[in-house]
Amino acid sequence: MQVNDLVNLAKKYRREIFEKFLETKQGHPGSIFSMMDIAVSLYYGGFLRFDKSNKKFLDKILISKGHATSALYPILRDFGVISKNEWNKWGKSSSQLRIFGNTSIPGIDITSGSLGHCIGAGAGMAISYKNSNQDKKVYVVISEGELYEGSTWEALLFAKHRELANLTVIIDINSLIILGNTSDCLNLDPIKQKISGLGVETYEVDGHDINQLINTLQITDDSKKFTCILANTVKGKGSSIMENKKNWHYWNPMNKNEISITRKELK
Amino acid sequence: MLQRDIFINEITKKMTKDKKIYFLSADFGAASLDILREKFPKNFIHCGISEQAMLDIASGLALEKNKVFVYAMAPFLSLRAIEQVKCGPGLMNLPICLISVGIGLGYADAGPTHYANEDFSCFRSIVGSSIYTPSDNETTKLIAKDLLKKPKFSYVRLDRDVQTDLNPKVKNDDLKKGYKIFGKINQNKIAIISHGKIFHNCIDAFKKDKSKFIFINLFRSKPFPEKLVKEVRNIKHFLVVDEQTPSGDLSSCVYEGFREKKFFPIINSKSLPERYFFENGGREYLLNKFGLSSKDIFLAAKSLR
Repeated sequence: MQVNDLVNLAKKYRREIFEKFLETKQGHPGSIFSMMDIAVSLYYGGFLRFDKSNKKFLDKILISKGHATSALYPILRDFGVISKNEWNKWGKSSSQLRIFGNTSIPGIDITSGSLGHCIGAGAGMAISYKNSNQDKKVYVVISEGELYEGSTWEALLFAKHRELANLTVIIDINSLIILGNTSDCLNLDPIKQKISGLGVETYEVDGHDINQLINTLQITDDSKKFTCILANTVKGKGSSIMENKKNWHYWNPMNKNEISITRKELK
Repeated sequence: MLQRDIFINEITKKMTKDKKIYFLSADFGAASLDILREKFPKNFIHCGISEQAMLDIASGLALEKNKVFVYAMAPFLSLRAIEQVKCGPGLMNLPICLISVGIGLGYADAGPTHYANEDFSCFRSIVGSSIYTPSDNETTKLIAKDLLKKPKFSYVRLDRDVQTDLNPKVKNDDLKKGYKIFGKINQNKIAIISHGKIFHNCIDAFKKDKSKFIFINLFRSKPFPEKLVKEVRNIKHFLVVDEQTPSGDLSSCVYEGFREKKFFPIINSKSLPERYFFENGGREYLLNKFGLSSKDIFLAAKSLR
């Protein structure tokens, strides 16, 4: 697929998830929309290799920001990992799909929701692959808010010490947490200096520029070191009503006009 | 030999044939661990003094079908990383075995940061966990062998100090049941239930007068042994002794286990008081001071008659 196709695909997925939000009236649109281009780049950029016959991905993706795991559901549906029927049922009590991902959902590699766990878990998987000579890669997507968790830094230190080249951490930096801007609540900057200060090979990209994302993912794939990508994003990307608004961390009721505006913008 | 060395030696033996076994330490050692590390450097992972990351790393390894043992000092492995335990082996039902050393007041005189007087109740509350508190090396060995054969989410509570052997020894049949009864059951007797090091204080208390008591070594407290109630249903009085603070200690566990089987005898509890311990003087001094000496246990049990 061409980059333009992927841009349109990301839009389509935002739109489909938006329609689900209208039905289910719950979830985390801001965080899902901010990481959608990252997810599309990983799945369609050839980084998560797919075993068609078994309908399974060979490489792992751990969404540490578990409130945004549902960004993967429409992608997994299109790969045939989640059935169309299951996708259609999302929101009903009989559905397997949840706001937060868990390992009972096809294609979801970890149960997450509590923040700060997945770099460690990803490191465990990466060591297992390395020791058993399995050519597999682990991608962990975390939110910048997870940089407040001590376990995140413990795990970064560990992954660097072990130089786990088959592990790449992508930090979705949308600059917002529930109560406001990270810079106002408890400043995390300069994130790049802090992570590269651990000795981690660190890259910074526009997290909505699929071309940049794919090129950088390729560099990290080729690297012989543990790598980290800082993806600068916009919370609620694609909807002017949601973009950069802290209250759109969670779903909020919308009036008809707002729904119509959002539908247009996501087309 | 220390319980930890017994346990680790069993793991080392098994590692020779099984490359899927991993041993993780949060900078906690043992003589036996030095051997394991040297023999199997790929399968030993030093996680730094980072119990939380260690549990997450363990979860990642276990998700890839490895058999994972994590090892640290009891107060830190239990309470520091309890949310990681819930989200990893708990929520995902992963066969991770946590080896926790220095339960109770084992690290006297280090002070309350190093005591593990709340770990039992905390771990009991994590869904799906199995809890073992062996009182001697033989039981420790049997537990280690069993967990290597059939890995599961388990919390093994070991003592810091060398433990005296139980006589008669715990055998495989006892292991299956989860407990061993010392003495002949009789409805007029008082049953004393305990585990770990403090079980020896119970036995010692009654050296001269065993005839009126039986002793139940409940080395597997969770899942609560299915068969125990059937064996002790005629007994009216129980004394449960534990080196933990009262909330959620072994007596709560026994009460809940009995209640499941609709068995409601009189259950008395002897445990540490609801406070932290700053006093010096050593473990035995603290146990004496806070009512868990052999003599205290003896008097408490006699008063039930």
